[in-house]
Amino acid sequence: MNAQLQVLIALQDILLMIREAKDPTSKRAMGKMGFEMNNLKSLEATKSDLEGQLKPAIRSEYDRARRRYGRIVAPVINSICYGCFVKIPYAIDGADDRNKTLYRCENCGMFLYWVDK
Amino acid sequence: MKLSETISPKRINLNLSATTRNGILEELVGLLQLKPPARKALLKTLQAREELGSTAVGNGIAIPHCRSLVVGEVLVAVGRSSRGISFRAPDKKRVRLFFLIVAPPLGDPGDYLITLGSVAQAARPLAEDKRLKAVTTPQQFIHLLEEIEE
Repeated sequence: MNAQLQVLIALQDILLMIREAKDPTSKRAMGKMGFEMNNLKSLEATKSDLEGQLKPAIRSEYDRARRRYGRIVAPVINSICYGCFVKIPYAIDGADDRNKTLYRCENCGMFLYWVDK
Repeated sequence: MKLSETISPKRINLNLSATTRNGILEELVGLLQLKPPARKALLKTLQAREELGSTAVGNGIAIPHCRSLVVGEVLVAVGRSSRGISFRAPDKKRVRLFFLIVAPPLGDPGDYLITLGSVAQAARPLAEDKRLKAVTTPQQFIHLLEEIEE
C-alpha cells in the first residue's frame, strides 16, 4: 500500500474516533457498555503526529478535503466511490497499482481506497 | 442480534500466545485475514483506541473495537489467553477473553453500537461460565455461546 495512503487511512479512522469521543450520544452509549473514552489528548497527539508525516502537497489536499467533506479518503466497493457514489472509470478501477498509487476520485476529489473483499 | 451467529470459527483463537497488549491486538487482527497493509493500518487504529481509554470492561473481558476504512463489513474475532494479560481493566483483573469488533465507517453507527452491545451482553455470562475452561475448539466455543444466548 502507498505509504501516504496508509497515513491518510489512519488519520481518517482517528478523526472519526475523535468525533465519536466528542459526541455526547455516542459517548453515553459507550459509557453504558463500560468503555472509557477519556484520553482525547493522546488521540489528538496521534493525529498531529500522523499529519506531520504527510508530504506538503498531500497535506494541502488533506486540509481541503477535510474542510469540504469532513473526511479525506473514500472507500471503493464494487467500483463505486463511496465519497460521491459515482462509478470509478475502468482505467483506474482495473489498474494493477490500486492502493499502491495514490488515486483520487475524478468526481469528488477524495483519495481512494479499494477495500479488501 | 446473536453473537454466536456473527462469529466464524476461523476467527476464533483459544490459545493466544502474546503477553503484551499490542501483541494480543496483533493476534486478534491476524484472525481477520486482511492483507498486510490493511492489517497494519487497523492495528494502528486499535492502538489509538486503547490510548483513548481501555476497552477492558472487567471480569477478565476486553472488547477492542473501532471503525476503520480497511473493512467493508462488521467483523468479529475472539481470542482467549490462558495466562491472561494486564489490559488496564477497571477492576485491575488480568484479561483472558477478548472480542475484537471492527466496523466500516460508512455503515449506520447504530448497527455498530448494536453489535458492540450484543458482545458486551454475551461476554459477561460467557466469561463466568465454568464450562468455558473446558472448551478447546472454535466449534465448542460457538456451541457454548449459543447455549448462553438462548
